[in-house]
Amino acid sequence: MYQAIVFLPLIGALIAGLAGTSLFRMMGREAEAFGHDTGHDHGHGEHGDAHEHHHQPPWPMYLTSALLIVTAVLSWVAFIGYLHDGGVQKFEILRWVGSGALSANWVLRIDTLTAVMLVVVTTVSALVHVYSIGYMGHDPHQARFFSYLSLFTFAMLMLVTSDNLLQLFFGWEGVGLASYLLIGFWYKRPSANAAAIKAFVVNRVGDFGFALGIFATFLIFGTIDFDPIFAGAAGQVGKTMDFLGYNVDVMTTICLLLFMGAMGKSAQFLLHTWLPDAMEGPTPVSALIHAATMVTAGVFLVARMSPLFETAPYASDFVIIIGAITAFFAATVGLVQNDIKRVIAYSTCSQLGYMFVALGVGAYGVGIFHLFTHAFFKALLFLGSGSVIHAMSDEQDMRKMGGLAPHIRITWVMMLIGTLALTGFPFTAGYFSKDAIIESSFASRAGPGAFAFWLLVIAAAFTAFYSWRLMLMTFHGRPRASAATMEHVHESPQVMLIPLYFLAAGALAAGFVFKDYFIGHDYDAFWRGSVVSTEIIEEMHHIPAWVIWSPTVAMVLGFLVAWLFYIRRPDLPATLAAQNEPLYRFLLNKWYFDELYDFIFVRPAFWLGRLFWKRGDGWAIDGFGPDGVSAWVVDITNRVVRLQTGYVYHYAFAMLIGVAALVTWFMFGGAH
Amino acid sequence: MWLLEQADAAAVLPEIILAVIAMVLLMVGVFRKGETANFVNLASLFGLAVVALLVIFGGSGRMTAFGGAFVVDTFARVMKVLILFGSAAAITLSVHFMKEQKIEKFEYPILILLATVGMMMMVSANDLISLYMGLELQSLALYVVAAIDRDNARSSEAGLKYFVLGALSSGMLLYGASLIYGFTGATGFPEIAAATAAGAGGLGVLFGIVFVIAGLAFKVSAVPFHMWTPDVYEGSPTPVTAFFSAAPKVAAMALLVRTVFAPFSGLVPDWQQILVFVSIASMVLGAFAAIGQTNIKRLLAYSSIGNMGYALVGLAAGTQEGVRGVIIYMMIYMIMTLGSFACVIAMARKGRQVEEISDLAGLARTDKMLAFVLAMLMFSLAGIPPLAGFFAKYFVFLAAIQANLVTLAVIGVVASVVGAYYYLRIVKIMYFDEPAPGFDPMHGEVRLIAVLAGAFSLVFVLIAQPLVNLAGAAAASLF
Amino acid sequence: MPELLKEYLPVAIFMAVAAGIGLALMASAIIIAMRKPDPEKLSAYECGFAPFDDARMKFDIRFYLVSILFIIFDLEVAFLFPWAISLGDIGVYGFWSMIIFLAILTIGFIYEWRKGALEWD
Repeated sequence: MYQAIVFLPLIGALIAGLAGTSLFRMMGREAEAFGHDTGHDHGHGEHGDAHEHHHQPPWPMYLTSALLIVTAVLSWVAFIGYLHDGGVQKFEILRWVGSGALSANWVLRIDTLTAVMLVVVTTVSALVHVYSIGYMGHDPHQARFFSYLSLFTFAMLMLVTSDNLLQLFFGWEGVGLASYLLIGFWYKRPSANAAAIKAFVVNRVGDFGFALGIFATFLIFGTIDFDPIFAGAAGQVGKTMDFLGYNVDVMTTICLLLFMGAMGKSAQFLLHTWLPDAMEGPTPVSALIHAATMVTAGVFLVARMSPLFETAPYASDFVIIIGAITAFFAATVGLVQNDIKRVIAYSTCSQLGYMFVALGVGAYGVGIFHLFTHAFFKALLFLGSGSVIHAMSDEQDMRKMGGLAPHIRITWVMMLIGTLALTGFPFTAGYFSKDAIIESSFASRAGPGAFAFWLLVIAAAFTAFYSWRLMLMTFHGRPRASAATMEHVHESPQVMLIPLYFLAAGALAAGFVFKDYFIGHDYDAFWRGSVVSTEIIEEMHHIPAWVIWSPTVAMVLGFLVAWLFYIRRPDLPATLAAQNEPLYRFLLNKWYFDELYDFIFVRPAFWLGRLFWKRGDGWAIDGFGPDGVSAWVVDITNRVVRLQTGYVYHYAFAMLIGVAALVTWFMFGGAH
Repeated sequence: MWLLEQADAAAVLPEIILAVIAMVLLMVGVFRKGETANFVNLASLFGLAVVALLVIFGGSGRMTAFGGAFVVDTFARVMKVLILFGSAAAITLSVHFMKEQKIEKFEYPILILLATVGMMMMVSANDLISLYMGLELQSLALYVVAAIDRDNARSSEAGLKYFVLGALSSGMLLYGASLIYGFTGATGFPEIAAATAAGAGGLGVLFGIVFVIAGLAFKVSAVPFHMWTPDVYEGSPTPVTAFFSAAPKVAAMALLVRTVFAPFSGLVPDWQQILVFVSIASMVLGAFAAIGQTNIKRLLAYSSIGNMGYALVGLAAGTQEGVRGVIIYMMIYMIMTLGSFACVIAMARKGRQVEEISDLAGLARTDKMLAFVLAMLMFSLAGIPPLAGFFAKYFVFLAAIQANLVTLAVIGVVASVVGAYYYLRIVKIMYFDEPAPGFDPMHGEVRLIAVLAGAFSLVFVLIAQPLVNLAGAAAASLF
Repeated sequence: MPELLKEYLPVAIFMAVAAGIGLALMASAIIIAMRKPDPEKLSAYECGFAPFDDARMKFDIRFYLVSILFIIFDLEVAFLFPWAISLGDIGVYGFWSMIIFLAILTIGFIYEWRKGALEWD
């Protein structure tokens, strides 16, 4: 079953991927012919569509979607099994690497953490596949798109089922590749290419740290398999006691390096710049990769490595601080963005910060729980916004929307559910998971914890504000779009709405249904040691009431301000922005991080690159290398050809000079 | 018969027979009425075949004649067969060409026969005097052959240039020979070897060697004694050029090999310096100058200058392996160059010869077979494995490296990289350029030679072993 | 050294005699001979050409053909003298060698004859 979960997407990706090749075009014709012969009852209209759109037969998208639905169902079956009866299962696929002391086998490792990730990944992926049938139905390269989506899903599953760091790294890079391909899916757009490259390069920074972390792990533990590392890490704690902290340094270093990879992949503060730009990809991609799954890989990594992080308190503190800053920072930027997808992107960034805070304080289950619920409502928001964009004829600027609610009521309802869940409205998914994070940060009491607590509460208020701002600007107030656009506003087809229903159900119910398993009294029975269990889970149930109420209050506050700004006094935001011009600019330009990086890294890199290109390659290598040599050859040739004058006396002269030279050589220089 | 015995004529019988055939055919030519050229051509080919058989089966081991001035050993036999083959090919290639160019003369095959006698003499020369005799017999015939199209200014110019410069080189050779004779007191190679081994000579002998090598280098058109080559190749009728680039090169190279080894085997480090210089100069000039050419015959002229440079690499090694490399090289070179010139002869439009490289444009689309053969020959000349030309270069470079002449080998490889450019350019022009008008259909015998040469360069890798063994045996007979 | 010089004494005497006779003849011509100079007599002799003229003048190629053919046989005949003197030493082998040489020469002669190289018109 687990093998099927992991490999069905790969099969789908390969088959759909071949769809772009000539092999497929032939097969495609056959499939069409087949359809005409037998499929009058169902496929005729679609075939007509396919003919219009560059002869793209639709079967690759149906095939991949069907495989993913099967995968998702299997994952739920597995997950439900794990609710009550867990434990680690391993399935060896093949021996992979055996080189000296290093051995890494390809093993599917299934435990509760993996099961949770399987459900998240396959469910969102399946729904996004189905959604994309509608969303990408008119794209001439849909086969390629679905192939990439399935490839991504396979890589993500590889990542979460890994049993050693190398396998994890394989999946890690696989999702990075798929992300790159999908961000740049519309490769004719320069901005999409730039965004894809940016995502890839920024992730390389994190991956560099991650790779170093893997090396360090191998150096210290002599293996990269999880079980021995975890066992060894516990041993290192004991040694720490004996050797006055020398080994703590080692563990801290490893954990910080691994966390560096997580920071890149999960777009944490300092390495976050790629995520908003990644919104250049198609919206389903944003929902799947840049909201629900890939960006949570960093969270998964830290949770998976929780035994290591438990031995490295300084690293954990660092995780808390980075997470809290990210949560706050991204929320502030989200306040003023006007692009609907960018708002949600910053929201994602912010929510990932929440998760890391939970991981940092030791509430691993809480972090994963938020990951779990967040996947539902954030995918819902993205797909909902995709529906809005679809309705608005590809308009993404919220300033040109407004008053859409009556026209696309179902989408509005879905977005409303997503927003409620994100802001933590009581009894929605976010209410349980996000509030639990805030509570756990308070419960940790340590310096970083308190710091995080206040930042998270403020961020919660900001979250509520920007979420409602998004809702109000988009769906309420006066329409700001042109009349022509408004006329075309239409509800999305059912194939796009059905995934929204599922996600909405998850956004509403996931917290309520599963909270006992993830963070409640079934905690230990559910997780079974797949993440380290700490006393903080217990402590977070014994905190003052004002702490429990604080996020809710923050949420209401955020909502009220948003209502004030965008319904009651729509002139107020502009006034406020004008009054606080520097602050507004600062936020609107995302704290000037892009400019800063451009100045610190990009320009020197370009300068260096240009130096190597113009001077190093163009001048030195081309000049003295290929071009230089060929120019030199031509030059010599011209001179030599000029020697051949056609005059006999020149020829005779050359002969005599030759003889004279040889004779002279023997007379004065010859070695004899 | 008694007379022949007196002269140890068993060794020299093939040469005598060939000379007699030539003279008989000359008389037939002048006395026979009407069309004579065809008959003389056929008879010449027949004669060459008979003589070749005689060389192959006329005894084995080392034989001498004329008191040791003439020697026949395996080396001589191999080279003579090659020369006979080259001469026969040159006559074969000329048959239709000369008719179409209206320069058909019965003297042409006879001159080739006489030149062949001279060349065989050169190969067997074991004395400064027989050396000079063979060389001059060959050269005098070649001067005339170069100008055989005497109403054509360029052909006459070619013949005249060749003659004037040839006379100069003969003078140098004679001057060198007299120096050697003066300082060693002998003209026979074994006697010279004995005298130098006994300490005679010194700088005087070295000067003599320089001049003798200069004279011979002229014949193999090695730099800086090559200047006549492009002009003569371009000016002469194409079959004559084919002949020039094939048999006489083999003969002169063979003569050079024997001249440096037989009398001066004790002075290897000295003449090695000359040959290294000449070899490098030839390879480099051949590679560079050919790039600038637009006329295919001129290009092949520089190609043969370069090729002589490569062959001299083997000789410069001064070892038995080196000589083996030279023999293999000359074998392969001769066949490839004959094939190439067969292709050049095929370049005719409406009965007129064309010689520009650009005329080959798009040949692959107008004559697939010819284009393929020429491409194979060019690849082979460029030294691309597994074609014959690669092995040719491989053996000479191998010998050079074994003789610690690594620099020479490296320069050779670099030159062959540069040289590959112009060979491959021809291939590119044939296969990728817009087609020029097609050529007239090829004559059977030209096609045959081209195809055989192309096939040889392709399958050499399969038949290499016996040929290498043969070359090895020939080289061994010199030491 | 005197030994060496003594051997060259006859040569020196011969040169002195030759110089003396030559000078005597020239002097006698200058002293005794009758002089009637005219332009033809004063011009230098150059077998049929004006001695000082443009080098690129036209001339009849047959002059050269004849002279070249003459020179060939002239040179070959020059070989006959040493051969004739040493015939006693080189014996029958030497005799037949020269006969073969002459036969080859004759073939060449027949060829040029048949080709019409010897006919002036």
